[in-house]
Amino acid sequence: MADLLTHFLVAFSLFTVASWRVDWLDRRWLVVGTGGAAIPDLVKIELVLDEATIEGVLGLPFAYTPLSTAGGVLLVAGLVTLAFERDRWRRAYGLVTAGGILSLVVDGLRAYADGRASAWLYPVTNWRPPTPSLYVSSDPTILVVALSLTAVVVAVDRRLATE
Amino acid sequence: MNVWKRLLVATLLLAALGGLFVHEAATSDARTPYPEPHELAADYDGHVGEVALVFGSVRAVDGSDIVVEAESEGVTVELRVTGASAAVEPGGVVQVYGELRPGREIAAQRTVVVSDSASAEWYKYGVSVVGALGFLVVFLRQWRLDRETWTLEARDG
Repeated sequence: MADLLTHFLVAFSLFTVASWRVDWLDRRWLVVGTGGAAIPDLVKIELVLDEATIEGVLGLPFAYTPLSTAGGVLLVAGLVTLAFERDRWRRAYGLVTAGGILSLVVDGLRAYADGRASAWLYPVTNWRPPTPSLYVSSDPTILVVALSLTAVVVAVDRRLATE
Repeated sequence: MNVWKRLLVATLLLAALGGLFVHEAATSDARTPYPEPHELAADYDGHVGEVALVFGSVRAVDGSDIVVEAESEGVTVELRVTGASAAVEPGGVVQVYGELRPGREIAAQRTVVVSDSASAEWYKYGVSVVGALGFLVVFLRQWRLDRETWTLEARDG
């Protein structure tokens, strides 16, 4: 996957662009959607508590992989939404889900040696979409692209705000 | 909605997520038809001739060959990758797509260098930590936790 900072920057930029059209999408809601972009990265919990250990305890097969799929994003977005007041749930859930799905799309563009991205639409389908293999996760270029995109969007946003 | 009801909903969502964690692992063959490292470790010869996609860390570079170690289910397998024209150092991470040959060798048809060295892996984690801290700062400027209702409140009212 792309690094976490790239995920945040891409989501922040696109939500900022969306805010030019959507009146209620102010700064505080924009950061909520941006936070959703981190959901697929939760799969890295593996570094703290590995799957094999949990399998040993449960006696069942176990994988964190769903966190980096549509199913995981929809469920974790639900958990995040619970942290908000009841009358804000729809808005929060929509934004957090959108942020998470956006990161899945960004990750779906990275390189795979067999030309297919991971099955990130799971559990909707087991299909692995073809990937254009645009980058690998440790490639600083992707971060440079994300930073440039953010800089342009923020500059335009400031300009619009002063008009 | 009070705290207890919210906790109940959270428990249901966590249970569903746990269900996915188990279901995904139990049905992973449906998504990745390739033999996994623990399957190769258990019976390598039974998989000779099959095509595999291996995610491995580079243990050694030996001329044009590289030796990678791949892990699944807590079991590791070491494979010699031939025909990979990849510039990597030990500690790097590669994806190898190719045919499994006798003697724990994989003939690479395509190789993707995910990290060319251990430092490239550290770069990725370092940048991610910067991202996490930066996000927390921005988020906490907009929202605060109300300790009476245990909900997030917008700071500007």
